[in-house]
Amino acid sequence: MTEYLWLLVALPLLGAALNLFFGKKIGEPLSGWIAFALVGIGWGVAVMPTLAFITGTASPETIYLFSWIPIVGADIAILWDPLSALLTMIVTGVGALIHLYSIGYMHGDERYPRFFAYLNLFIASMMILVLASNYAVMFIGWELVGLSSYLLISFWFTKPTAAAAGKKAFIVNRIGDWGFLVALMMIFAAFGTFDFGVIFSSAPAVLTTAAATAITLLLFLGATGKSAQIPLYIWLPDAMEGPTPVSALIHAATMVTAGVFMMSRSAVLFELAPISGGVVATVGAATALLAAVIAVTQMDIKKVLAYSTISQLGYMVLAVGAGAYTAGVFHLTTHAFFKALLFLGAGSVIHAMANEQDMRKMGGLRKVMPITFITMTVAWLAIAGIFPFSGFWSKDEVLAAVFEKGGPWMILWIVGVLAALLTAFYMTRLYVMTFLGKPRWAEDTHPHESPLTMGIPLMVLAVFATVAGLFNTPARLTFEHFLEPSFALLEHAEPVELGLLIALATFTVAVAIAGIVWAWLRYRGEELPVEEGGFWKAGLNAFGVDDFYGKVVVAPGKKISEWFSDTVDPKGIDGVTHGLANGVRSSGEGMRQLQSGQVRSYAGGIAVAGVLLIVALVAFGGGF
Amino acid sequence: MQNAAWLPVAFEIVLIVGALTVLMVAVVMDRNRKVWGPVAGFTFLLAGAVGVLQWMDVADGGGGMFFSAPGLEITKSPMVVMDGYSAFAAIVLGLVGFTGFLGSWDLVTKIGKRSAEFVTLSLLAFAGLHMMVASPNLLVIFVGLETASISFYILAGFVRDDINAEESSLKYFMLGSLASALFLYGVALTFGATGSLTIYGANSIRYFFSLNLITEPGILLVGMALMLIGLFFKISAAPFHQWAPDVYQGAPSGAVGLMAAGVKVAGFAAFGRIFIGGLLSQIDAWGPIVAVIAAVSMVIGTTMALVQTDMRRLLAYSGVAQAGYLLTALLAGADAIPGMWFYVSTYAFMIVGTFAIVSAVSGPGSTSAPMSDYKGLVRRSPELGWLLAILMFGMSGMPFFAGFVGKVLAFIAAGSVGYIWLVILGTLTTVIGLAFYLKVVATVFASDGDAGEVLEPSLSTRFAVVISATITVVFGIVPWILIDVVRDALPF
Repeated sequence: MTEYLWLLVALPLLGAALNLFFGKKIGEPLSGWIAFALVGIGWGVAVMPTLAFITGTASPETIYLFSWIPIVGADIAILWDPLSALLTMIVTGVGALIHLYSIGYMHGDERYPRFFAYLNLFIASMMILVLASNYAVMFIGWELVGLSSYLLISFWFTKPTAAAAGKKAFIVNRIGDWGFLVALMMIFAAFGTFDFGVIFSSAPAVLTTAAATAITLLLFLGATGKSAQIPLYIWLPDAMEGPTPVSALIHAATMVTAGVFMMSRSAVLFELAPISGGVVATVGAATALLAAVIAVTQMDIKKVLAYSTISQLGYMVLAVGAGAYTAGVFHLTTHAFFKALLFLGAGSVIHAMANEQDMRKMGGLRKVMPITFITMTVAWLAIAGIFPFSGFWSKDEVLAAVFEKGGPWMILWIVGVLAALLTAFYMTRLYVMTFLGKPRWAEDTHPHESPLTMGIPLMVLAVFATVAGLFNTPARLTFEHFLEPSFALLEHAEPVELGLLIALATFTVAVAIAGIVWAWLRYRGEELPVEEGGFWKAGLNAFGVDDFYGKVVVAPGKKISEWFSDTVDPKGIDGVTHGLANGVRSSGEGMRQLQSGQVRSYAGGIAVAGVLLIVALVAFGGGF
Repeated sequence: MQNAAWLPVAFEIVLIVGALTVLMVAVVMDRNRKVWGPVAGFTFLLAGAVGVLQWMDVADGGGGMFFSAPGLEITKSPMVVMDGYSAFAAIVLGLVGFTGFLGSWDLVTKIGKRSAEFVTLSLLAFAGLHMMVASPNLLVIFVGLETASISFYILAGFVRDDINAEESSLKYFMLGSLASALFLYGVALTFGATGSLTIYGANSIRYFFSLNLITEPGILLVGMALMLIGLFFKISAAPFHQWAPDVYQGAPSGAVGLMAAGVKVAGFAAFGRIFIGGLLSQIDAWGPIVAVIAAVSMVIGTTMALVQTDMRRLLAYSGVAQAGYLLTALLAGADAIPGMWFYVSTYAFMIVGTFAIVSAVSGPGSTSAPMSDYKGLVRRSPELGWLLAILMFGMSGMPFFAGFVGKVLAFIAAGSVGYIWLVILGTLTTVIGLAFYLKVVATVFASDGDAGEVLEPSLSTRFAVVISATITVVFGIVPWILIDVVRDALPF
């Protein structure tokens, strides 16, 4: 069965090419259906090989396709193990549903086929990333994911905010990519190959702790870009400028998990670097809390979900840092379902409210949108971590793993619990403000339930958001066993004691319920509470992190530019992206002054540089 | 072995005979372009074929060193060598010359009467370029360098009525002469320090170093430094690059591709021949300097390219950055050669192809190419738009394009000898560099605004661009074909 897995990459690529070149002829809605079908077939191709892992009849294998750069161990091959199988199922499964949803959502868009071309390109890129059998190919997938994400965020590029958001996402991600790239160079320098098999089996013998720490920290820098962690998370909220299905697919379910996936794939390396583990976990926990606090203050329904995504990703990263890879990947799985559901539900609401995203102008939607309301209820309970919905099991496992480590990790555990409290609070706030209470719509809006192509994905996802957690209850560790072959090279931690587990679970559920009740008491009334004080204002502005980056990253860049030249663009500072670009640009402008076009000055330049070179060579070479 | 003695210089002979034929045809047949055009194209191809013959001969155990005066012990120094290195250079230069000639054909047809001279000079220049690679004698290398350079000075100013072309030609000539003089002085000092002008054989520089340990290397170091400056100038490494943007912009578009690509190939090949073939024992002295120059080139090339609004200046600065990456490859000494060959040979085709497009879009005799010319190019000519995107991806180092493999090989080579800081810097500038390459692609695909009239490129331009793009893609997807070849393209 596994010999057909290459179709997972080939089919979406074919779809992308078809819609890119013949999209106008294929037209709407056929181009959408083609794109959907190709991803769906991909899912079908992967189902049986994945089931084989669950039933225990298969073992991980590498399916060799063709030779690319053999001398560096970069061949085109598929590494098919439970981890890649799981991600494949999520990407193609959730991906197919979102394609289906987009057929209705993008109805009437001028560039309809183009949108599906990009979506298919994204799926293909993600599959390259997930199925790679070496770091070189993985990096290619990683870059392609970034590219297609950029294309999708700025899909409505005539909207200046969308174009700017796309650019910001691209540039911020490049910072992370650079870290990843340098890590790859160091890996190659140490191992002489990019091949996963060789690297992971020989890592303990080859790498010193210092080298492993450096490599893993750089890998983590890469992960903070894609998986939106401190300090590089700032692009994700802006990325909500893209069409809502894009937010659901890329910025909730799939792309943002790339960093967590990559770290799980590199688990062997992280095991060799305990300091990195601590850094990763701390950053993850801090991100979980900070993003949750910001989410509490947001008024835009999609922004709440964006910060909530960052916060949940923080949990996954925390788990990876704690060495609980299974827990991290488990939370990734359940999160993919409930967060995709939340975004699609929010999209359904926005669609119904004629593109209104401000929750203060919603309310009382439960009556007009029953399907959306019921499915969103499921998602709300799942993310809040209420028994027995999926989020409960996975979040609980992450927190239990951190608690189990004891010592200073207790601080991280407390941070995680606080974030859980806030998660329940802001989700209830969203839920109450949107669906309950009295309508606060503008006079001329007439909300209505969305069409069935949008309704069906909601229902399917709601089912998964409910039951996905049951795969891995402490009583029935299917998931744990399923993933075992992927982490075979690691030492297995003792499972947490059942009594302690139940005690912890009871405690976190109590915390979640406290958050829900607190929010319900606050927002149930006819009038919304006034939220305009210092805290709310600062939170709404995301605590000014963007401005801070503008000052800290851009200002020194500007100083350097001024040193080069006085003609610096005085409007340099507006946001980190502009700032970075302008910083580099201005220094270039400065150097342009040296490029006067006069032969004399050029010859003088050659003379000066030449003398310096001679002096340096003589100094290096041992002198006269 | 009389026959074999012709083969090592057959490349030069073919090109010179071709050049003379073109001149004679132009005189006898009333400057009929339809006749000598194919003659010149055929000459380049034949030269490439000679390269293949040389390659096969070397693989069969032929090749070797060839002397100017057999029997005279005192001058027993080879003037020409035929090894995998020079044979591969012959193949690349022949094919690059052919493709570049196709790309410059629009210009040739435009300049009318004087075009025979243009073609003759191109052929002679390539003979000179190969001489830089095929000779182990520093003076003959210098002669080759000058043959090529002087031809190029004239080509740069070939559109005489254009003041910009005139200026750029003069500038190129004056600065180029300065660089040549410095190189020659370096050769002289190296001779002074080692008592030899040749790299291989008895009484060679290598032989000298195998016997002597230099305790006071001052003269040698200054000699090496001066030769480095001359070569850095030719390959446009920063801070010796300042002529490049002006010349790339001022010279007629049709000629730039041929010049830029040829000089890059021969310049790096000569660098490898002299510094890795001959002065490898001194790598501890010149290595760090080359590393610094590589770093400066990457940084200056990338930052300056970001702010350019003219396509050709952008390509010039991109060339500065690429020179930096190539120098990075050379730091690994003898192991560096295959990577250097892979990089420079694929990159040369990208330059030729890109300038063929520039020539088609901005006009073959034009002396500027504002970015606005390229806005919405894909709607004016889908073919050129897509091919330009491919070439830009190639130059930027996107995976599955040849430039990526070249960069990987270069960084691995530098990393293997401990220049990790340079590799990190190189990846950083690669990442930043993406910005301006993608800016070109975005401009080409811009869908707003008026695209302008449909552009129908000439057949020769199409050929040139398709050849380059094909090479960029094929060696990006199946690079091991070329890697297996360049593994044998080594100097003695």
